[in-house]
Amino acid sequence: MKDLTVTMPPGSSTIPTSVVVVEDDPASADVLQRRLQANGMKVAVGRDGGEGLALVRQIVPDLVLLDVMLPDTDGYDVCLRIKSDGSIAHIPVIFLSARGEVVDKVRGLSCGAADYVTKPWNAAELLARIDAVLLQSRNARPPRLEPEAQRPDRARPVAAITLKDAARRAAAEKLLASRFDIVQDGSVAVDLILVDDSGTSDRDFADDGAAILVIAKGSETPAAEFARLDGDLGRHAELLVREMRLVRDMGAAADALITLATSLEAHDRFLMGHSERVAARAVSIAGLLGLDQAAVGTIRLGALLRDIGNAKLPPPIVHKAGELTAHERESLEQHPLLGEELLRRVSPLAPILPIIRWHHERLDGRGYPDHLTAEKIPLEVRVVSVADRFEALLADRPDRAAVSEPEAVRILQGAVGRGELDPAVVAALAALVRSTAQDMAQ
Amino acid sequence: MKNIVLDATSDSARRYEHRFLVNEAVARLALRTSGTYLPLDRDDRPYQWSTTAYLDSYDWRIFRAAEAGEALQLRVREYHRTRPSEILAGASVYLEMKDDSASTSFKERYEVPTMSLPGYLRGEQKLPRDQNGLVERAERTIAGGVRPVVVTQYNRIAYSAPDASMRITADHNLMYLAVPWVTNDESSLPCRIGPVIAREPGVIIEVKWYQELPRWADELYSYIRDHMVNERPSKFVVALRHLLGEEQRSVAQ
Repeated sequence: MKDLTVTMPPGSSTIPTSVVVVEDDPASADVLQRRLQANGMKVAVGRDGGEGLALVRQIVPDLVLLDVMLPDTDGYDVCLRIKSDGSIAHIPVIFLSARGEVVDKVRGLSCGAADYVTKPWNAAELLARIDAVLLQSRNARPPRLEPEAQRPDRARPVAAITLKDAARRAAAEKLLASRFDIVQDGSVAVDLILVDDSGTSDRDFADDGAAILVIAKGSETPAAEFARLDGDLGRHAELLVREMRLVRDMGAAADALITLATSLEAHDRFLMGHSERVAARAVSIAGLLGLDQAAVGTIRLGALLRDIGNAKLPPPIVHKAGELTAHERESLEQHPLLGEELLRRVSPLAPILPIIRWHHERLDGRGYPDHLTAEKIPLEVRVVSVADRFEALLADRPDRAAVSEPEAVRILQGAVGRGELDPAVVAALAALVRSTAQDMAQ
Repeated sequence: MKNIVLDATSDSARRYEHRFLVNEAVARLALRTSGTYLPLDRDDRPYQWSTTAYLDSYDWRIFRAAEAGEALQLRVREYHRTRPSEILAGASVYLEMKDDSASTSFKERYEVPTMSLPGYLRGEQKLPRDQNGLVERAERTIAGGVRPVVVTQYNRIAYSAPDASMRITADHNLMYLAVPWVTNDESSLPCRIGPVIAREPGVIIEVKWYQELPRWADELYSYIRDHMVNERPSKFVVALRHLLGEEQRSVAQ
């Protein structure tokens, strides 16, 4: 990958909007870059379609400004590639082109662009269109949040009250004072943020670890994230914070289980780090398939813990280098059931149990332990199975040497042809491997 | 069972169908010539996107039959102004059965409510029987278990004779995409389209006709044959070859 020239205007204090400009004419690119930077944006310029696409994949910007006529391909093609890649398809694209016929605009918009601006562009109009497109895009997606702040354990939780009306703010402070420490600024990580029912705040308490409680006006029945300024506010807020802490604690418990599972691999030089690699690969595949965040989280955790049942088997069988006897194989094939049994008692881990139990199933019904077929195997499980087999092929094993990534993809495509693995999951893996190879070639 | 077919069309006879991969210059010339003799088909407006989900079993029975030269393709087609990132998101879709042999084809097409599609895929919902026996054949295939396995998307420009005796189409921006299908259940709809498996670098020209080509079309056909990159099997076959890693020629992603 080439070094990127990403420049930022001096004195920027907030997270700037990140823009990739794909423009082959240096003078046009320079004018555009300066104009965007003067308006607080971070800009990277790609001089042709290939370079632009590589920048988009690397930076994952907030916006792409795309010329139509490029030296290596056309902007429509670049737009289609962006919009058909699950990991970057959400990024809005605005065409900037001298081609201003209706048919050009229709073609650009039909490729998935959010807007089409003709050259020569007017700076005020262009910036207004950029703002409009970014606003639409941000409303459609969860906000980008900074990494979670370190939060020490405290006896009393901390709340920030961002209600605009001073009287309402004072009332809320009084109602929460017996249960919460109240802070006025964002210097301390908070457990709870009280906001107006517009859902916005003029103060920055952005923290993805905090619970958000919306103070509703009127007499509507409050839902879990809504409350009224009445005597029940303190109890409601405390419950919400406890729930948030419980989720965090479950994360910590899962971390402990992952440590246990990976420590089993640490004694085997052929398996060392395998689970982490499988999890990372499975998460990449899930991202490319456009699975939602909850599914991706389930896949990651399931991939890390899928072989935890091995902890209940005799180590000589788990780590045996040579060929297994029929009896040993039968024992080893119990590990999905043993793993499920181990984790079943931890109810928040219920979503990953199908991965633990079925990650050795095959679409043709010749897997184990339940011989499930086709879609009876959940998609999340199919993703982990493919990642597991792929990563296994990349590693040296006592009975065979490692193969290259393209060769491993070919082997798995063969398994798709025999009806063992999910075709879309292997196709996503193939696309990832192809993309990595192209990045390295550049 | 309640009939939930909204509309149906059927080929009255087997239709000749030849496909060629050509470069853009040849495609432009072919379209200019076609436009001189045939009106633009209003059903396939320029820059409209055709999205087709092809069905098969996981042991690829339809694909293997197509490779052998004769198959009943099952597919679901949708049309959009802007390229969609999901399939089966609209109110209705076209469920098509296409008896595709080496150079002729025969098609039945049913417009059905999208939410009824899983019922058809599970074999619980039945289509009205057709005169050509395609529905009966399709039901036998469906009984073995089918689901969407691959998707094609392209822009089509089409010229058609008013009496439908011939049709010349040009498909560009053709992409073959994977489809992460969850299950043949209503909860699976709509389904996000997966990653691009391959892209066709040129333009696919299809010439379709019933009896004899008129002289101008015959000359155009010969010109295309002389200047094509290669003759193409159906999009379904090409898509499945890519999906299963059986396409020798690698198409740059």
